[in-house]
Amino acid sequence: MLRLSLKARLTGTFVVITVVCFTVVGVLLMNAVYRRIYQQDEINLVLSARHLRRFVGELDSTDDLVAHQARLTWSVLGDTENALRITDKDGKVLVDHDLSHFTVQAQAVAPADQRLTVTDIRSWNDGDGEIRGVSTLAALKDGSMVTVTVARSMADRSVLLLRYRWDTVIALLLGTLAATVLSYLLIHRALRPLRAMTASASSVTAHRLSTRLSAENTPAELHALAHALNDMLTRLEEGFDRLWQFTVDLAHDLRTPVAILRGSNEVALSRPRSVAEYQSLLGSNIEECDRVSQRIESMLFIARAENPQFALQRLVIDTNEELHLLADYYEGIASDAGVVVRIDAHATVYADRDLFRRAVSNLLSNALRYTPSGATLSLIATTTETGVSVSVENPGPGIAPDHLEKVFDRFYRVDRSRTDSNMSTGLGLSIVKSIMDLHGGDVLATSELEGLTRFTLRFPRVTIPD
Amino acid sequence: MRLLVIEDEKKAGEYLKKGLEESGFTVDIASNGVDGLHLALEEDYALVVLDVMLPGMDGWAVLKNLRVKKDTPVLFLTAIDEIEERVKGLELGGDDYLVKPFAFVELLARIRTLLRRGPPRDIDHMHIGDLEIDAVRRRVRRGGQRVDLTPREFSLLQLLGRRRGEVLSRTQIASYVWDMNFDSDTNVVEVAIRRLRAKIDDGHDVKLIHTVRGMGYVLDVEAEDG
Repeated sequence: MLRLSLKARLTGTFVVITVVCFTVVGVLLMNAVYRRIYQQDEINLVLSARHLRRFVGELDSTDDLVAHQARLTWSVLGDTENALRITDKDGKVLVDHDLSHFTVQAQAVAPADQRLTVTDIRSWNDGDGEIRGVSTLAALKDGSMVTVTVARSMADRSVLLLRYRWDTVIALLLGTLAATVLSYLLIHRALRPLRAMTASASSVTAHRLSTRLSAENTPAELHALAHALNDMLTRLEEGFDRLWQFTVDLAHDLRTPVAILRGSNEVALSRPRSVAEYQSLLGSNIEECDRVSQRIESMLFIARAENPQFALQRLVIDTNEELHLLADYYEGIASDAGVVVRIDAHATVYADRDLFRRAVSNLLSNALRYTPSGATLSLIATTTETGVSVSVENPGPGIAPDHLEKVFDRFYRVDRSRTDSNMSTGLGLSIVKSIMDLHGGDVLATSELEGLTRFTLRFPRVTIPD
Repeated sequence: MRLLVIEDEKKAGEYLKKGLEESGFTVDIASNGVDGLHLALEEDYALVVLDVMLPGMDGWAVLKNLRVKKDTPVLFLTAIDEIEERVKGLELGGDDYLVKPFAFVELLARIRTLLRRGPPRDIDHMHIGDLEIDAVRRRVRRGGQRVDLTPREFSLLQLLGRRRGEVLSRTQIASYVWDMNFDSDTNVVEVAIRRLRAKIDDGHDVKLIHTVRGMGYVLDVEAEDG
C-alpha cells in the first residue's frame, strides 16, 4: 500500500475541496450573470414593442407612419443594438431600421390587443449568432394593421460572456494554486510539533528511559499524545527499574549459597578428612543446592505469575476442608512450638487449589515462627460483601509499620540476622501477593507491636462458570 | 536392566551414569541427539532418559523419530518449567518428565515407577524386619507390640514401606502424604519423620527409618548409606 505522508494527504484534500468550491461558485456566478444580461435585453425588447404599438395607434395611416419614421426609430434607440422593421399586411416594408444585416424569420405574430410579455420573444439564428425578437400586430387610426418587429442580435452578449468565463477559469486556477501553496505551507508548519516529538521519541532507548517528550508549545491534540507517551515511558521505566532491581537482588541473593558452597568445599579439600566428614559436607552441599533451586523456582513462579497468560485451574474450594488439611500439614511444627491452631471457616472460594494452599501455607509457616508458645493461632475464612477473606492471625512481637509496608517486596526480610533465615528465601510473601494478584484479589497485613498480627487474603466475588 | 541416557553435558552424563549404575542399572551414554536416536533404535533399552536441550538434533526430534518405530519408555529432562513444554513432551510420546534441577532420588523413583511392570506388589501386608504394616486394618506392630499412629503418620509409614529401600525426598513425601505440591521452606517433613521415628524406632536397637542427609528418608532394615 502506498504510504502517503500526512502532509501530502492533507494538501491533496485541501486542493480538491478548493477546486470543487471554486467550480461551484464560478458556475453559479456565470449563470447569474447570464440570466441578468438576457433578462434585461428581453425586457427592453418587450418595452420597445409595447411603446411602438401604442405610438403606431396614434398615427392615422401607413403614409403618416412612414412620415414619422424618424420618431419611430428614435424610440427604439434606447438600446443601440435594437433594430426595427414595420411591414403592412401585404408584407411590404414600411420602416426598416438597421435590420438589413439579419433576416427576420417567419414567426408567430402577437395579436394587436394582447399584452406583450417576455414569453412572446422568439429566438433564431442567422448564421452569425443568436437573434432575439418580438413581432406584434398594431392597428392604425384608419383601421389598417401593420406588423411591428423589434429584434436584437445577441452576438455582443456571447462575446462578453465568453470573456467573463475565461476570466473565471483563470481566477479559479490562480486561486487553486494559491490554496495549494498556502495549505502546504500551513500544514508543514502545523506538523512541526509532531516532527519535534518524533525527534525526541527517537532519542529514547533502554538506557535513556528517563527522557520525556516536551509537551510545551504543542497544540492541544498533540499535548494529550505527548502526555500519553510520557505516561507510557514512566510505566516502562518503572518496569525496567523493577526488572533491574530484581536481577540485582537475585544475583546478591544467590551469592550467599554459592559462597557457602565454595568456602566449605575449599576448607574440606585443604586436608584429608574422614569419610563421615566428607559425607556431612556433601549432604550440606545438597542442602545448599536445594536452597538455590528453591529460590530459582520461587522467582520463576513470581515472574510467571506476572504473565497475563498464566492459566489458573479454578475450583470451588471448601475453605474449612482446606484449612484443616493445612493445619494438619503443620500440626507437627505447631505442637513442637506449643501453638494451638484454631480454625473458624465458613466459606467456599473459587480458586486454584494448589495456589490457595501455597498462599495459606506461606502465611501459616511465617505465623508459626513468631507465635509464642502456649498462644493460639487462628485461621479464619468468612464471606464478606466483596468476596471471601481468609485470615491467618497470631499474637506475637508484631511487625513495625515501616517494615509492614515492605513485607511483600521480594527478598525483604524483617530480620536479616534471623538464625533460621537460611530456611527462608525472603520470597514467601511475594509469592502470596503474586497468587492473590492472579486471582484478582489482594493480601492485607495489619500488625500491632506485642499484639495481633493478621494477614488477610481477599478473594473477590466471582461468578462461577458452569 | 539397560538404560540409555542422552545428555550432552559431560558432567551431568557422568553422574547420571554413575548413580544409575550404583542403583543396579546398566547405562549407556549418548552425547548428542543423532547418536542417541541411533542407539535407541538399534539397541534394546528398558528406558531412555532424554535431555531436551541437545545440540543439533534436539530432544523433541529424537522423541518424535523414536516413537515412529519404538515404544521404549522415555523420561525427558527439561530446564524450562512451562506447562506448554511439558504438554509438548507428553504429546510427542514422552512418558514422564523432570525439571532441572532435580533430586537424583526423584529421578530414580520416576525411573523405577516407569519400569515397574504388572500390578504393584502386595502392599496390604508389609513386613520390614520386625515391623508389620497392615494396610487394610491400618494397624502397625513393631516386635509384636501395637504402635498407635495418627492417620498422617500411618500414611507416611505406608509410603515409606511401599517404597522400601528407596530414598524419598521431602518434596515427594509432602506431595504423597499431604497433597502439598509445592516446595515449602519449612521443615514440616523433618518434624513428621522425627515423630514417626520416635514411635517406630525408639527403644529398638535396629533402626528402620534412616535419614539420607540432603536427600531424604528411607525405610529399610539396613540403611544403604548416610
